[in-house]
Amino acid sequence: MIQVDALNKHFGSIHAVKDVSLEIPTGQIFGLLGPNGAGKSTSISIMTGLIDCDSGSVALNGLNPQSKQARFKIGLIPQSIALYEELSAVDNLSFFASLYDIPKNKMSERMDWALEFVGLSDRANDRVSQFSGGMKRRLNLAASLLHDPDYIFMDEPTAGVDPQSRNKLFENVLKLKELGKTVIYTTHYMEEAQKLCDKVGIIDHGQLLALGTVDELLKQYGGDTKVSISSEQGVQHFESGDVSQDLLEALKKSNKVYDISMHRPDLETVFLNLTGRQLRD
Amino acid sequence: MNKMLALMKKDFKLLFRDKMAVFFTFVFPLVFAFIFGSIFSGDGGGSKALKVAVVDLDQTEQSKAFVEQISEADEFTVTLSTEEKAKDLVRRGKRVAYFILPQGFGEDYKGVFAGSPPEVLVGIDPSRKAEAGYLEGSLMKLGINRFEQAFSDPTAMTEQLDASIAQIQESDDIPDEWKSLLNDYLPKMKELTAQEIGNGEGFGFGGEDGAENPMMPLKVTKQEEVVKRSGPQNAFAITIPQGVIWAIMGCVIGFAISIVQEKTLGTMNRLIVAPISRTQIVAGKALGCFVAQIAVVTLLFVVAYFVLGVRFNLPKLILAAVASGICFVGLMMFFASLAKTERSVAGITNAFLLMMGMVGGAMIPLFVMPGWMQAISNFSPVKWAIVAFEGAVWRDFSYGEMMTPVLILIAIGVVAFILGTRMVKLEQA
Repeated sequence: MIQVDALNKHFGSIHAVKDVSLEIPTGQIFGLLGPNGAGKSTSISIMTGLIDCDSGSVALNGLNPQSKQARFKIGLIPQSIALYEELSAVDNLSFFASLYDIPKNKMSERMDWALEFVGLSDRANDRVSQFSGGMKRRLNLAASLLHDPDYIFMDEPTAGVDPQSRNKLFENVLKLKELGKTVIYTTHYMEEAQKLCDKVGIIDHGQLLALGTVDELLKQYGGDTKVSISSEQGVQHFESGDVSQDLLEALKKSNKVYDISMHRPDLETVFLNLTGRQLRD
Repeated sequence: MNKMLALMKKDFKLLFRDKMAVFFTFVFPLVFAFIFGSIFSGDGGGSKALKVAVVDLDQTEQSKAFVEQISEADEFTVTLSTEEKAKDLVRRGKRVAYFILPQGFGEDYKGVFAGSPPEVLVGIDPSRKAEAGYLEGSLMKLGINRFEQAFSDPTAMTEQLDASIAQIQESDDIPDEWKSLLNDYLPKMKELTAQEIGNGEGFGFGGEDGAENPMMPLKVTKQEEVVKRSGPQNAFAITIPQGVIWAIMGCVIGFAISIVQEKTLGTMNRLIVAPISRTQIVAGKALGCFVAQIAVVTLLFVVAYFVLGVRFNLPKLILAAVASGICFVGLMMFFASLAKTERSVAGITNAFLLMMGMVGGAMIPLFVMPGWMQAISNFSPVKWAIVAFEGAVWRDFSYGEMMTPVLILIAIGVVAFILGTRMVKLEQA
C-alpha cells in the first residue's frame, strides 16, 4: 500500500503540491489526472523519493521512498525518454540493471523478459536513436522493470505515441496489474484513465480535487445524462439523473418518435467540471 | 564500487560512440603535438647548419684563416668563444659541439709534406653519433682545402717546401733512406715551383678536390662532453605536454556536458531513484573523467616515447598525471554545477578553459611568454599542469620541485570539486 499524507511542496512562491493525501492499495492501478502544471509530476517525484517534500509523508508499505530498501521496490518511467540514444537497447538495459545488484546469472534473463514484455526482442541490439517514438516509450518502460519493482510510477507514458504502441502499453499496464504490481499512472488523456484505472485522483493547482473510482467520480461530478428526443413535435432536450424513468415519461408525451440520443457523462466531463475550461499553457 | 564502475563503463561507451568526441579527446591532441612539434623542431625545411662554438687558441694566421673557413661553411653556424665558455655551451645543450684549434695548429697546418696534420679538438655529446660523423666529415672537407691552397699558390708552396726541407734535415725520426729520397725530391720540386712562379701559373694536385691525397688533411681528436639535459630534448618535449592539456580539456568538456545531459535526458532521475547514493553518482562521473584523463595522458606519452623520442621520468609523470587529473575532475564538476543545458555548460567550459589555456601555456610555451604574461599564468590551472608535466619531461624537477605544481593542482581540484558537488543539482529542473 502507498500512503500519502498531507504532502506540501513549494518551488519559490509557487505552491506546487497542497496538502495531498491519498491511499493506494497494493495491486491497483491508480490514475493521477490533471492539466499541465497541475502538480502531477511533482507529486510523483516526491512519492518516488526523487525530491523532498516541504511537509507531509509518503510510505511505500511503511518504507520511506528515499530509503535504499524502498528504492529496490520502485520503478520509475519518467515523462521524458530517459535512455541513452547512442547505446543499443541491450546496453541501456544492462546499465540500468547494473544499478540494482541483479545477480549476473539473472541479468540476461531479466533483460530478455523486459524486452519480450514490451515487444522489442528483435531490436535488442539496435541503437535507441534508430527507434520510433513508440519503441522508445516501450523501452523506457522496460528499463524500469528489470529489477521487478512492486511500485511502478508511470509519468505520462503515452505522450507522443502511435496507436499501436499505445495499445501495447495499455496491455503492459494491465499485465503488470495481473502480476500484482501497484501502478501509479499520470496522464491527461481521460480515456486512458477510464480504461485502465481502478481509482482516479484529479489534481489541479497542486490540490487533489477528487478521488475515487471512475464510477464514483462520474456519479459525483459528472452531472446528469443529456437526452435528446426528435419527434413530430420537434426536438426535445433534457438532462436526467434517472434516464430510464425520465425517458419513459418523455416518450409517453411524444408522437411518432424519429430519434433518441443520450450523452452520458464521462471522465473528461468530470475533469472539465472540476478543472474548468480555461486554457493551460 | 560496482555501480560506480558501471557508470564509468557506460560513459566510456557513450564517449566512444561519439566519433567527434573521440577525435577531439584522443586524436586532436596528438595531431596538435605532432604538427607544432615538427614546426618548432625545424624539420619543416629550415636551416640544417649545426651550431658550433669555435675556440682559436693558436691565434696564428693559419688558425684564423681556418676559423674563417668554418664560419663561411654552410654546414656550420659558428660562435667564437673561449675554451671554458665553449665547453659550457655544449654541456648545456646550447651548441651541438665545440672545435678547439690548439697551439701549434698553424705550424702543423703549414707542414704539408712533413710534421703532423693540424689537430682540431672536437667536443660533442657521445650520444650524438650522427652529428659527430657529420661534423668530422665536414671538418675533413675544410682541412683538405689546405692542400689546395698550398698547391695552387706557388709562393706558398715554395715556403712550404723550404720549411719541409729544414724539418727533414733536423728530424731524427725519419729513416735515412726516406731522408735521402726527400732531400733529392723536394729541392727538385722547389725548382719546378720557381719555374711556375716565372710562368705566372698555378698547378693542381691529384684530383679536383684533392680527395686522392693520401696525407691526412686534419687530425680530429674527439672529446666527450656529456650534455646536461636541462632543456627540452626536442620540440615534442614541449608540444606533448601542451597536447596532453588539450586532451584533458576535451575530457573535462565531455564529462561536464554528460552530467548536464543526464539531467536534461531524464536519465539522472533514473539514477537517483535507483539504490545508488548521490555520492556514488558523483563519484562515478568523477572516476570516469579521471580515468579518461589518465588514458589520454598514457596514450600521448606512449606515442611520444616510441614515435617522437620524448623521454621522461615515469614516477614524476604519474605524479603529474594524477595531480592534473584531480584538478580537472574538480573543475569538471564545478562547471557542470553552473549550467542547466548542454549548450551553456559547453559554452562556460570552453570559454574558461580556452582562456586558461591561452594564458597557461597550452598554445604558446610558457618560457617564450613575456614576463607579465607569465605572471598572469600563475592563476591558470593549465599552467601548473603544464609545469608538472614539463617537470617530468624536460625540466628535470626534483620531487621537491614537483610538489609546487602538484599541490597547487590538487588544491584547485579539491576546492572546485567541493564547490561543484555542493552546487550541482542532480534532479531534473
